[in-house]
Amino acid sequence: MAEINVMETIPEKMIIPLKQHKGDICEPLVSKGEVVKVGQKIGECPSDKCAAIHSSVCGEVVSVEESSHPSGNRINSVVIQPIEETECEDFTPFKDSGKEQLISAIKEAGIVENYGTPTHLVLNPPDCDIDTVLINATASEWVGHNYETPLEYASQMLDSLRLLMKAAGASRGVIVLRNDDKDSIDAFDGLDYEGKTIMVSPLIGKRRVDYYFNDQNTDIIVVSQDKIYGKNIFEYFTYNVTGRKVPFRCTPASAGVAICGVKSTKAIHDLVNTGMPYIETVVTVSGQVNNPQHLLVKIGTTFRDVIEACGGYSGEPAKLISNGVITGVAQYEEEVPVTKMTTSIIVQGKDEVLKDISKECIHCARCVDVCPVDLIPNRIAALANQGRFDECKQMHVENCIECGRCSSVCPSKIHIMQLLQYSKEAIAKAYEDMFEKESSNLKLGCACGSE
Amino acid sequence: MTLTISAPPHIKQDTTFRKITWIKFLTLLPVSLVSVYFFGLYALALILAGIGMAVVTEVVIQKAFKKEVTVANGHAPLIGLMVALLVPGEAPIWIPIVGAFFAVAIGKHAFGDIGSYIFNPVLAAWVFLQLAYWSAMYPVSFPELGGISDLFLENGAGMLVGVSPIALVGGLYLIFKRYVEWKIPLFYALTTLVLALLIGDKIGHVVTGAFIFGVLFLATDSPSSPVTKNGRIIYGILCGLLTVIYGHFANYVFAVFYGIFLANCVASFIDNNTLPRSFGEESFLQRKYRLMMNKIPLEKLGVKIDD
Repeated sequence: MAEINVMETIPEKMIIPLKQHKGDICEPLVSKGEVVKVGQKIGECPSDKCAAIHSSVCGEVVSVEESSHPSGNRINSVVIQPIEETECEDFTPFKDSGKEQLISAIKEAGIVENYGTPTHLVLNPPDCDIDTVLINATASEWVGHNYETPLEYASQMLDSLRLLMKAAGASRGVIVLRNDDKDSIDAFDGLDYEGKTIMVSPLIGKRRVDYYFNDQNTDIIVVSQDKIYGKNIFEYFTYNVTGRKVPFRCTPASAGVAICGVKSTKAIHDLVNTGMPYIETVVTVSGQVNNPQHLLVKIGTTFRDVIEACGGYSGEPAKLISNGVITGVAQYEEEVPVTKMTTSIIVQGKDEVLKDISKECIHCARCVDVCPVDLIPNRIAALANQGRFDECKQMHVENCIECGRCSSVCPSKIHIMQLLQYSKEAIAKAYEDMFEKESSNLKLGCACGSE
Repeated sequence: MTLTISAPPHIKQDTTFRKITWIKFLTLLPVSLVSVYFFGLYALALILAGIGMAVVTEVVIQKAFKKEVTVANGHAPLIGLMVALLVPGEAPIWIPIVGAFFAVAIGKHAFGDIGSYIFNPVLAAWVFLQLAYWSAMYPVSFPELGGISDLFLENGAGMLVGVSPIALVGGLYLIFKRYVEWKIPLFYALTTLVLALLIGDKIGHVVTGAFIFGVLFLATDSPSSPVTKNGRIIYGILCGLLTVIYGHFANYVFAVFYGIFLANCVASFIDNNTLPRSFGEESFLQRKYRLMMNKIPLEKLGVKIDD
């Protein structure tokens, strides 16, 4: 059980990118020389596929310019020089509001899922009905999110789930925990909520949520399953939990499912109870730093300041990674800001940096044994390398959840995950071209919410 | 400060092909030592001749074709050692030399180097030697497991590999560390033993050094065996079936090598026909089972069904 520390020091410079989500870039509302307050809106959405950006500190805008972003690109950002005193916008909590107000409030507060989609699009996708809301708590424990006790975590999560269901207009809600996460399971198990006792039920075999909804005769259940990680887990996650198949290139919304993370759930809870927009997030710092810890930081703090707050590097750093060692992005420089999508910062030393050269595949089948979705990664990688994407499609490459296990066990050090991603992108592009040419009676697309 | 940029994943297992082959090489050293003890220093000469010729052939071929010389990954020495182990203790010294040359030049490089060959180079060389130099390759005696002491030192051994079945159990360490795969050895050994029992062959004839070597080292050679999960089970069963068919009518030592060699032929065929389905789709058996169960009116019979 780790504690959350709050980053107290005020950095010299904050970089707040105007795009911290997947979708359209925000338009800046401030210009050089203006003074901004905590929680002041500095980025306005030009369209619906967007989440607003707020200032996380009080200070003077130094410039609005292109600056580096943890994704590796350069994004138009607002650079702020913070000042000592903190002046806040007036946050007003709101209660007893309807679906529309809730959705627009979530959009205005700029709440974004940790995988990048703005939460209001997840809960209220265009032309789509959501009937089940899932909270994916398999990846992060309650300790990671600023809750004081497990009990508080459990009851707040259930309250937030009610809010999410109201916002999405869904009739059923599920919280998905991880099998080996004893703290969370103990917190939920036996809890009385709305006159009913919550029981954590494992997802085994064909017993999916439908079975437990019938069995427990309730509209909110808590289930547990093995940890699923990866960049693109939603099709598999949706199937595992609800038994519904999501068509290729569609979001889970087309199966009537909305998937939220623990972070955005907490942010919505804060928004409703205090009115605070999404301006701070918990980042796990690990690796070659003096004090590895969970740190509550303001969005826009640079990695350098975060690492300094953790006691600085212990040794010569050679690689700086945002968001996990398996799927994360290695950074060019330290001057990159923490965004709404940042969950962890990892520093690797010189001897940890891999310098492998890809060799021939020896068909050892290690990748086949570790693949969670039953693919034949070595064969698909070979086909993708030769550009035979139609054959990749026949071998269900679209099921790949991009977890990187295959690349990590490969004794020949082949970049299997990248080759699979490459073929998926090529197939998706081929589908894009097909839409216009096909006759209208042939239905290829999603019911709603394509990526 | 310089930061490195690279594609994820940023941590990988430290298992490499080089490590796997050298550990295989090391696990074969005990049996080599016992064979030297058993057949005298001449066995050492056979082994060194095999390894030396394999290395020389690999270097010459890779130099000639202007490829990177990959002797250091240990595959050529491993092939040389394995070929030498499959040779009778009294064979002329040129037998392992010709065998190692054939294994590396034809078995491995002519088929396109590591990962592309369809026949295990060691077995290809053994079959070649067996057909071409029959009299030199025929062992003086075939081993039979009489008692526990035969597990440690087999007095009837004809080939170098047959001298001590127990010295080969290093192969289990390979399975434990997942350097080789476990499904093929398990199903191969089970099928062979069960079938041999059923048709009444003496188990003492089946469990020899050659059989254990075949199960743990030859059948698990990764490029010449299937990769799909079900495919590996089928391959193991097929190896066992072919071994028993040959062994029942001839002898179980040759049966192991011919059985695996023939099973190599169909490895890719098995692979292509056992590709897994997408998750959430029923397999052939599941669909049949569901259709069958749908026809039975369980609810009328008073059975309560979950889900």
